[in-house]
Amino acid sequence: MTGADLIINTVTVWGLIGVAVAAVFLTVGMGRIDEDARGAVGFRPLLVPGIMVLWPLVLWRWYVLATGTDNWQRRHDPPRRGHAIVAAVLACVLALTLVLSVALRQSWPSDIAPERLSLPGEQPT
Amino acid sequence: MSVKYIPVQWNRFKYVYDAVVLALIMGFLWVFVHLIPGLLSYDPAINPQINNMRAFGACAFFLMTLILLIGPLARLDTRFLPLLYNRRHLGVLTFFVAFSHAGFVMAWYFSFSPTDRYVALLSTNTSYGQFLGFPFEAFGIFALLCLLILAATSHDFWLKFLTPPVWKRLHYLIYPAYTAVVAHIGLGVLQDQKNATFGGLVVLCAVSVAVAHLLAARFERRSGDPASEATAPDGWEDVCAADDIEEGFARVARLQDGARVAVFRHEGQFSAISNACAHQNGPLGEGRIVDCLVTCPWHGFQYDVRTGRSPAPFTEKVPTYNLRLRDGRLEVDPKANPPGTPVAPVDAPETLA
Repeated sequence: MTGADLIINTVTVWGLIGVAVAAVFLTVGMGRIDEDARGAVGFRPLLVPGIMVLWPLVLWRWYVLATGTDNWQRRHDPPRRGHAIVAAVLACVLALTLVLSVALRQSWPSDIAPERLSLPGEQPT
Repeated sequence: MSVKYIPVQWNRFKYVYDAVVLALIMGFLWVFVHLIPGLLSYDPAINPQINNMRAFGACAFFLMTLILLIGPLARLDTRFLPLLYNRRHLGVLTFFVAFSHAGFVMAWYFSFSPTDRYVALLSTNTSYGQFLGFPFEAFGIFALLCLLILAATSHDFWLKFLTPPVWKRLHYLIYPAYTAVVAHIGLGVLQDQKNATFGGLVVLCAVSVAVAHLLAARFERRSGDPASEATAPDGWEDVCAADDIEEGFARVARLQDGARVAVFRHEGQFSAISNACAHQNGPLGEGRIVDCLVTCPWHGFQYDVRTGRSPAPFTEKVPTYNLRLRDGRLEVDPKANPPGTPVAPVDAPETLA
């Protein structure tokens, strides 16, 4: 199995587990932990992609809410202290990326003529 | 504000917002597809498939730039707050534009071959150990995955389910996603460009995002909420003089434990609630009181400052704080009451007199 096959198989299995979690959570679990979801069905399909991607996080939060161990104080503690750090790191990484990609430009080997691909009979724009 | 979840919460403002964004996207794509090839003078010339792919990719990049500019601009100038109000719809649209870009890539560069297109995508270039010739597709895949997570968790259910702080941290993914997109462009299409116009626009966008965030961080440091002082022997913390708070508004203070409390003055009485809205932890202390209800400046959620509860039938609640007046100064008990706990307001000195 190649690395590419391994990645694709892993993503497939991850997604299938996510579908299974979504099926149980959206039909059985959601109404028990969120009063606003009771009787509300139309929005549930919109949650499927998120559950497929984040099913471990969904399982953890489901467990926390179902067992009543959620800490209400944490709901009101936004991560504002991190803004300055994020701004500084973002500025540095963006500057570095731009400088490197502009300064270090790759050049096509002069002895190889590039071949442009087009559909039969097509005129390039 | 929620009572029962619905698929998409639209109102008149959001309809207008979404219509304007859709018109801008379609206008951008039309211009890019029909006019840009002549302006950028592609050399070598490109075919319609590549032109479409670049149009959607460029559109996604500019939309991400706009999304990232809205936050710091709204922090620096409240006139930008209306753009923040419906930013999640903008994010979802951006994902679909980026997804279309990826679709064009897969349908052109990795088709017409017996090799599975996804296998081809992941195995065509594996030179991960070098900068030049680095498989820039990996940056694009990473950014698309981030945008998928952000779009897929944009419904209000996720905010309540994950809690706003966890949701916010998850949505910090927009920062590595944007950086990855800049790298994706810098190591991808810019390597092929002889015309500097597009490269210049990319640099301008990235620098704008970086500078706006740095300015907002500096603004926050200079003009941010002042820290309270633990002056009383029983641990209550001094917030400010009673006269410092204007009628109908609040003074926000950072408590010793890092929590922010908003102390409001309304009809000659003071009340204190958490500064963090239950929806997205927006700054309630920057909202104004109308009829005992403070409105969050971000998305319009309302709370009674005496109880921390949204008006019926809405169910949102924020913690309240016990407050007292001593020698003309307001002191708050740093131990928050559970969300929605009613607290009797404290009379202002002139009311007592």
